[in-house]
Amino acid sequence: MANFVIRSATPSDCSDILRLIKELAKYEEMEEQVVLTEKGYSIVGFAMYYFTYDPWIGKLLYLEDFFVMNEFRGFGIGSEILKNLSQLAVKCRCSSMHFLVAEWNEPSIQFYKRRGASDLSSEEGWRLFKIDKEYLVKMAAEE
Amino acid sequence: MAVALQIREAKEADCGDIMKMIRELAEFEKLSDQVKISEGVLKTDGFGENPFYHCLVAEFPPEHRDPLGSTLAGYGLYYFTYSTWTGRNVYLEDIYVRPKYQGQGIGSKIIKKVAEAALERGCSQLRFAVLDNNKSAIDFYKARGAKDLTVAEGWHFFHFDNEALREMVRM
Repeated sequence: MANFVIRSATPSDCSDILRLIKELAKYEEMEEQVVLTEKGYSIVGFAMYYFTYDPWIGKLLYLEDFFVMNEFRGFGIGSEILKNLSQLAVKCRCSSMHFLVAEWNEPSIQFYKRRGASDLSSEEGWRLFKIDKEYLVKMAAEE
Repeated sequence: MAVALQIREAKEADCGDIMKMIRELAEFEKLSDQVKISEGVLKTDGFGENPFYHCLVAEFPPEHRDPLGSTLAGYGLYYFTYSTWTGRNVYLEDIYVRPKYQGQGIGSKIIKKVAEAALERGCSQLRFAVLDNNKSAIDFYKARGAKDLTVAEGWHFFHFDNEALREMVRM
């Protein structure tokens, strides 16, 4: 496996990031990956994160998306990305790193648990809720 | 409810009162020792150059001060997030109304203001977490169009705590 680097994205990376976002979407819908071998890839994985806040412990790092192309898994790229994110979290004084995982996604669950992650939904009973725009509009219009 | 209640953006000077309410909620849940931040941290993180959260407070006019001298009845703390599929969202982290002011529609007023803030900034969704045994909260939110994504789509909250993060840095 050739050397790889983990670096912050720049604006010119956006078309590659979009390509990977689409691939991740396909993965989460459980479609088979079609491997395109004619093209060479230099960008083979990405992580998208931002900062969130817990009123008891302060700043958190939130991992929104995390993906490595199928054919490039098993080489430690995912681990290296996570290590990078952990360093960033510690540097920015974040208490912990939070993220969502689909309960059917066994490979990812194992990947994270091997590295010390815990499932707060199973352990503490937390459920994620959403309110869509149409209901936000209704609420804003109410007297 | 005759008294005019105002939902407004928190100011730096509110942080002492907000910290009190954060501690009240932790006390109620018998988890007071889990509160690690201070009023100073809350100020720096919310009112510094780069705010990490936004906060709304529910305030009674000065003539309705409580014996402890606070005019605040509750707060809502939220921040903006980003979904690579749907774009900008708002995440409602905390919503709290002091026990003696509950049952007067203050929670509804706070959430309405958060919804307005979300729409003003072009957000597609409001997201938040609820404990599975909190039936009254679940009913409150479902009545306003909320959908349980853990049940419907299988999403689970995970975290690496501070110890796990430091382990990964060492690897």
